[in-house]
Amino acid sequence: MPMGNTQPSVRPASAGRAGGAAVTPAAHRHGTRPRRTRGGLGAERYAPYILVLPAVLIIVLLRLYPLLLGVNFSFTGDGAQNGTAVGFGNYRELFGDPLFRTALSNVGLLVLLLPVAVAIPGLLATFIYLRVPGHRFYRSVYFFPAVLSPVIVGAIFNLLLAFDGPLNAVLGSFGVGPVDWLGDPDIAMFMVAGVHIWATFGMALVVFLAGFATLDAALLDAARVDGATLRQVVWHVIIPALSRTIQFVFVTTMIGMLTSMFGLLFVMTSGGPEGSTYLPEFYIWKQQGQMNRPALASAASTILFMIMLVVGLLQIKLLERSGKED
Amino acid sequence: MRQRAIWSAVLVVGLALAGCGSASDSGKSTSSDGKLVVWDWKSGEPFAKSYLDKAKADFKKKHADVEVEFVAQPFDQYYTLLGAAIQSGKGPDVMLFNGGGQIRDRVDALVPIDDYVAEDRQRLAGWEAFAKDGKTYAAPVTLQGYPIYYNKEIYRKANLDPASPATTWDKFVADCAAIAKAGSKCFALGNKEGVGIQFWLSSLGSTTLTAAEYDAWIAGKRDWNSPNVKRIFQTWKEAGDRKMNSDGANSTAMFNDSFALFQSGKAAHVMGLMSDVGHWQDFNEFLTPEKLGVMKAPVVTAGTTPSLPYDGGIGYAVAKWTKDPKVAADLVRSLSSADALKAFYADAGAIAADTTIDVSQAGPAVATIVGELKSGKPALHVALSSKTLDLMGRLSQQLLSGSITVDEVVKQLAASDQAG
Repeated sequence: MPMGNTQPSVRPASAGRAGGAAVTPAAHRHGTRPRRTRGGLGAERYAPYILVLPAVLIIVLLRLYPLLLGVNFSFTGDGAQNGTAVGFGNYRELFGDPLFRTALSNVGLLVLLLPVAVAIPGLLATFIYLRVPGHRFYRSVYFFPAVLSPVIVGAIFNLLLAFDGPLNAVLGSFGVGPVDWLGDPDIAMFMVAGVHIWATFGMALVVFLAGFATLDAALLDAARVDGATLRQVVWHVIIPALSRTIQFVFVTTMIGMLTSMFGLLFVMTSGGPEGSTYLPEFYIWKQQGQMNRPALASAASTILFMIMLVVGLLQIKLLERSGKED
Repeated sequence: MRQRAIWSAVLVVGLALAGCGSASDSGKSTSSDGKLVVWDWKSGEPFAKSYLDKAKADFKKKHADVEVEFVAQPFDQYYTLLGAAIQSGKGPDVMLFNGGGQIRDRVDALVPIDDYVAEDRQRLAGWEAFAKDGKTYAAPVTLQGYPIYYNKEIYRKANLDPASPATTWDKFVADCAAIAKAGSKCFALGNKEGVGIQFWLSSLGSTTLTAAEYDAWIAGKRDWNSPNVKRIFQTWKEAGDRKMNSDGANSTAMFNDSFALFQSGKAAHVMGLMSDVGHWQDFNEFLTPEKLGVMKAPVVTAGTTPSLPYDGGIGYAVAKWTKDPKVAADLVRSLSSADALKAFYADAGAIAADTTIDVSQAGPAVATIVGELKSGKPALHVALSSKTLDLMGRLSQQLLSGSITVDEVVKQLAASDQAG
């Protein structure tokens, strides 16, 4: 009898599908087709295309077409050579420019820092979920920086990290020599990335908390009953249960790091010191606005676009895979 | 799947087609009859009001039927926006430029105005900064120069004579040691943007390069291997190594953190400006006129004579696509008329391009500066391209942090200078 009970619960779906497949041709034969007039058929066939047309037009005219113009423009010259084709000259110049190479390697550095940027909100969300004392307070405080403009955040940290600023004063009182946080090429990029993480982790924290809301509390209770330590709970219960949330946060944090650090860079270091904090966006802005090299900037934009395309496709793959796991 | 294939085909074909053509065209006019559009980054400021009123009144006398519209753009984005306008061949009829590289890089979009401004030649100074290949593209409004300001109060504290600052580099270094003993830094330096080295180059240029080398530099024949050119970067490094500069120079913004250091009495000297910001009027807020001095550059290479480095600071230019260049040029002339510039000097605290303006009311520092204009020369850094200046900024930061040698610096700068 149990067999009999389980089978129907599986069967109706497949039976339905099979039935559906069998019914459709029948419907075509008997009623549906003759009822349609020719015009009606055409309208119905084209209706979806007409309905998506506005969206497609907006994408094509305002996104794809300018994109093509930009790519095309990157193969032309600047200044006296304005408008003439120079082939891959701009691209050769880009890869010969140590500054652009620095910008690309900084993108690599940001990707390497990604686990840190995800782990921080993850851990803090875990503590809030586990109701450490004051968790309500921390929940709102952690989110607070996310509503500040990068320019304000940058200005605040410019003051804090100044050579004669409060951070160095505090370090000095412990007898540690002053550090030029934003003036040392080996440190500056980490400081800017760190401030970016500080300013944006609130959003990821909220996503993690939402993920925790779907976590089955019984699993945690079971782990506690079994005598699991906090580390074991995090490692064996929370992380596996939140794997989809973690992947989502990875993707959004990555996009944030690669596309929205311009304001912070501009305010905190302006690409310096010694060009060590350049990112492709900043390089593009500099070449277009300050050096009057729009075509070179277009070439750099095209490369940045390619990078984002590859990163984006990888991320879609990642999200698709995690969707299938479900 | 087939949809995706079709879309990729469309994309590829589109890319290929777009690749055949050119994306830019230029030469169209946007100004309608009887209206001139002016772009700048000054007209929004309160201090510019009387200047603009005077200029507009002057223009009205010549062309009563032509309307003038001033559009103030944010300075941060000014050249980005202008670049986009130039690229599309549509934009303002008259636009404000900084002298030097910023205008020289964009003369393709401008009309030479030599024929229109012939009458103003004598009255105004600073034309060279707006000229390229013998043609002038803008009329100067202000002069921008790089005097060395010093704090007489700190000199007194360090037992130095505030009336006679050092005239040689060695004496200057010795004075700085005395100033350090008295608890102040010698230079307020902000090199975060890499601008500090530009001021250094120009301020000490006249006393480091020989007169012949100086003139050749301005004329575009720059010998980067000359020992005197290297000496400029050596003194820069020396000042860093001897801790003469304010702390954390590479992370201090010149505008306006380094000027604030000078103003607040934390450093004895600053290589400042004559106009706009970081100058006598700014400093006077805390350093009263009798505490503020302007000194000649100390002599680094024996036998040289110090001269004030200055150029045309800002000036208005006429766009190629304007309908009637004569009318637009008349507006440019009005913007540099004597009355207008007088108002600009008085309200904005700038050394105006009109040298006939009486400045005796503004204190001894200004009088010194204006007195030196006669013997002044174009600033060395203004002659360099934006690209070389950008590189020099980064290299100067490396010199301060000790990660590059002077020889390598001049080698890289020579390569960039010759390429550009």
